[in-house]
Amino acid sequence: MIELTIDGRAFHVPPGVSVMDAARANGIDIPHLCYHPELSTPGGCRLCLVEVEGRADPVPSCQLPCAEGMAVRTQSEQLSAMRREIIDLFVSDHPLDCVICDKAGACLLQKYAYEYGVSETSYDKHIARSLYQDDNPFFVRDHQYCILCGRCVRVCEEVVGASAIEIVGRGFDSHVATPFDGPMIDSSCVFCGSCVQVCPTAALMPRSRLGQGREWDLERVETICGYCGVGCQIEYALRDGRILYAQSTPGAPVNGEFLCSKGRYGWDFATHPDRLARPLIRRDVAYRLGLTDEPWELPDESPLDTGEGVIEERFVPVDWDTALHVAADGLARTVQAHGPDAVMGLSSARCTNEENYLFQKFMRAGIGTNNLDHCARL
Amino acid sequence: MTNSIREIRDADCIFITGSNTAESHPVIGYEVVRAARRGANVIIVDPRRIPLVEHATLFLQIKPGSDIYVFLAIMHTIIREGWEDRPFIDRRTEGYDALAAVLEEYTPEHASLMSGVPVEQIEAAARIYALGKRVAGASIYADGASGTGERGHSTILYAMGITQRSNGTDMVMTLANLAMLCGQLGKPSTGVNPLRGQSNVQGACDVGCLVDVLPGYQRVTDAEKREAIARAWDVERLPGEVGLTIVEAMHAAAEGRVRAMYVMGENPMMSDPDTSHVERTLRGLDLLVVQDIFPSETAQLAHVILPAAASLEKDGTVTNTERRVQMIQPVIAAPGESRPDWQITGELAARFDARMGIERRPGYWDFASSSAIFDELARVTPIYRGMSYGRLAGAGLQWPCPDASHPGTPILHGETFSRGRGRFNPVIARDPAELPDDDYPLMLTTGRVLYHYHSGTMTRRSEPLDWREPGGAVEIHPDDAAAIDLRDGAPVVVASRRGRVRARAQISERVPPGTVFLAFHWREAPANMLTHDFALDPVAKIPEYKVCAVRLENPRAGLADRLRRSEGAAFRTSSR
Ligand code: SF4
Ligand code: SF4
Ligand code: SF4
Ligand code: FES
Repeated sequence: MIELTIDGRAFHVPPGVSVMDAARANGIDIPHLCYHPELSTPGGCRLCLVEVEGRADPVPSCQLPCAEGMAVRTQSEQLSAMRREIIDLFVSDHPLDCVICDKAGACLLQKYAYEYGVSETSYDKHIARSLYQDDNPFFVRDHQYCILCGRCVRVCEEVVGASAIEIVGRGFDSHVATPFDGPMIDSSCVFCGSCVQVCPTAALMPRSRLGQGREWDLERVETICGYCGVGCQIEYALRDGRILYAQSTPGAPVNGEFLCSKGRYGWDFATHPDRLARPLIRRDVAYRLGLTDEPWELPDESPLDTGEGVIEERFVPVDWDTALHVAADGLARTVQAHGPDAVMGLSSARCTNEENYLFQKFMRAGIGTNNLDHCARL
Repeated sequence: MTNSIREIRDADCIFITGSNTAESHPVIGYEVVRAARRGANVIIVDPRRIPLVEHATLFLQIKPGSDIYVFLAIMHTIIREGWEDRPFIDRRTEGYDALAAVLEEYTPEHASLMSGVPVEQIEAAARIYALGKRVAGASIYADGASGTGERGHSTILYAMGITQRSNGTDMVMTLANLAMLCGQLGKPSTGVNPLRGQSNVQGACDVGCLVDVLPGYQRVTDAEKREAIARAWDVERLPGEVGLTIVEAMHAAAEGRVRAMYVMGENPMMSDPDTSHVERTLRGLDLLVVQDIFPSETAQLAHVILPAAASLEKDGTVTNTERRVQMIQPVIAAPGESRPDWQITGELAARFDARMGIERRPGYWDFASSSAIFDELARVTPIYRGMSYGRLAGAGLQWPCPDASHPGTPILHGETFSRGRGRFNPVIARDPAELPDDDYPLMLTTGRVLYHYHSGTMTRRSEPLDWREPGGAVEIHPDDAAAIDLRDGAPVVVASRRGRVRARAQISERVPPGTVFLAFHWREAPANMLTHDFALDPVAKIPEYKVCAVRLENPRAGLADRLRRSEGAAFRTSSR
């Protein structure tokens, strides 16, 4: 263990840890833009400068390994002035239209501009990048908000392994791009949205939330992804009971800040008009029960070939009472006539533990059979 | 999984087989990418050049179904070279000699012949896995190869490519043998790790939705355990014979022995093998009750459809592939009159009882909340006993968690195996049940793509996801495509002894010559029209989805050509 002091407090850290990480682990937040705890730290923004006793110039803390006896200061007049200067420069190239920006409230540049009191740039304002890319239904890239921190490029390469984007060009020409600036779909992008998640500004935004409300308008609920067995935790942002976008949080036990495209973007199925909203009984059954007047027979057309409207054509809506009665009565008849083993129960690997538990209890203690499966095997 | 997901990033060697991790379990794929970037070796054994191959150090591209030879040859090599973990074998296992004797004949040369993988690759994989070798960087483990010990930490990841086989149980035992042989178990970043498909497939098994086990894997045939649960449920007796699996039930229904099915949130029309047979069977039932969120292909054949709430609309718990029980919360309101499945099942059970004249105490089926069901579940499920909603908030708990003060179990088999010593179960190689022949000269393997999920009922109704991957494509090697003058993107017919499917050809070197790949999410190209269910694994009763014999036809080829190609075959099709 190495001992060092940060802002006068002594800490013990394992070797190889940066001053940035040591400070954060102990609740000291050093301003940063390009640093992200899950990614490599090539540096660049220099906002994380700290003073080290015995060194003349401030050093970027995200790139500074802790050393025995090191004494670090994260706040001082000098540091504030330098940080103000850095933010001033970033802002000279960034539209300060926070009043209409969807990211307001969650933007790191805005946060530091506020903290260091930078309301406008003292340089000539010149927004070098104007490209607006909305070539896919997942996210948009609005280059004028990009501060070239490189987080998106690093997450794509280092965590996702897709390496779909890179920073190309020099000086005012430099920007984040796919090879040859082509559309995302032609790149190796897997639309996981990890780049959107780690972007500190409004340069990368989930398409679904554009113009729909700002951070403080949104309600947030955490749950577990309903797709695969990884069990990622997802935080949904909602307004008026409608999901605007999904993200994850650093504290998610399995996935941290990362999700795949299904988890991050695949939630809109829930409000699809096809959702079943009323109990239904097939027309021939309904006729037998006297619920309809027309005799009817199930057509031969395979469900694999049916088109729209098939449900209306084949079923009639009924109340819960009727539907449950028909189901319970049918099961009881089967058990009475052919025994409990004439019933098969198929439960769901997408339902909860409680639901599966109750289902098997019904099959075993109610019906009296072990004919019970789900698609674990399939 | 014996181990936890977040340990993967620290592994020294990752051995992946039968899992397209980056597409089926993307966030676990990220763990593999991170490990690889830190210098871990990644070994992939698979018929397809799956996306993670780009991050692999060793890719053993096998002919479908030949992996068993490769695994046995890897173990053969390990023993031949003395790379096995002697102290572990002596202290923790039994049956080693029998294993070694069986392995003797499975040489890398033989495996190479069967699988098409060069001998050197098999031997390299053996060395790297057994000794947990890194490509670069230092192991984080003090007992690792770069620390005080000589053996790094190696982990095995596998999925349906291993289990959906007529010898799936053998395959799983083989991987367990391999891990035990090298002592790669019971430590962080090691283990034998099945990646479970659906969000709660682990939990559905844990709570007893299987033919042979009650909640917590207590056998239905074990009279003592069965009676204990019967007492907890206030019933005189519970059925003690193993029931029918879904595929068996489909056969039984075809013969009239099964007359009614209650299906909660499943779509056997899309996910079960041999779709035409399934459809005929479902149509013949006296009663089909389907409880679902969408009018699935199966629901369209139901007598009664009960509308359910989706997971985004309810509370409860789910258990992920690393045995972590986590709570879900309602995020949005359920549409219309739909209800959570537990309420529907509870109501249905109560009405069934009333109809049968059975009386129950209050609260038997009508639970006040999911939390109340969980409390009962925890009482009868030993591995969940120490859990409650109060304890699960936050990061959840990994089972086994036997009592209220137990912290949960991130790594299984730490000091001992559940049965004391780990037993080697020697396995001999068996080929897939259906191999290519003159009429059906190619091998079909099925699976998933990144943007869709299982039978597609959800993802195909997600706009962004369906935009990215709107239709089914069949991957075909350029050589096989050339043989029937097929162009990339052109329609192609894939035919097996069961049926025919039309899809778009995607000519790609992802698959080796002689193998075609089709995902099973697409209703317009239902892969399971082609697969078969006549060779279930004898123990796990899992159909052999991963391997069957097919033929390609180019519908745009000249008519004469087509007739010539399909003549003999058509005759044999009907004789099955
Ligand atoms: S969405 Fe994912 S794959 Fe695509 S650029 Fe962003 S991080 Fe890379
Ligand atoms: S798009 Fe966002 S994450 Fe990427 S470089 Fe620009 S500001 Fe940074
Ligand atoms: S976000 Fe992706 S990887 Fe995570 S649980 Fe959902 S589907 Fe699986
Ligand atoms: S945060 Fe350290 S240089 Fe950007």
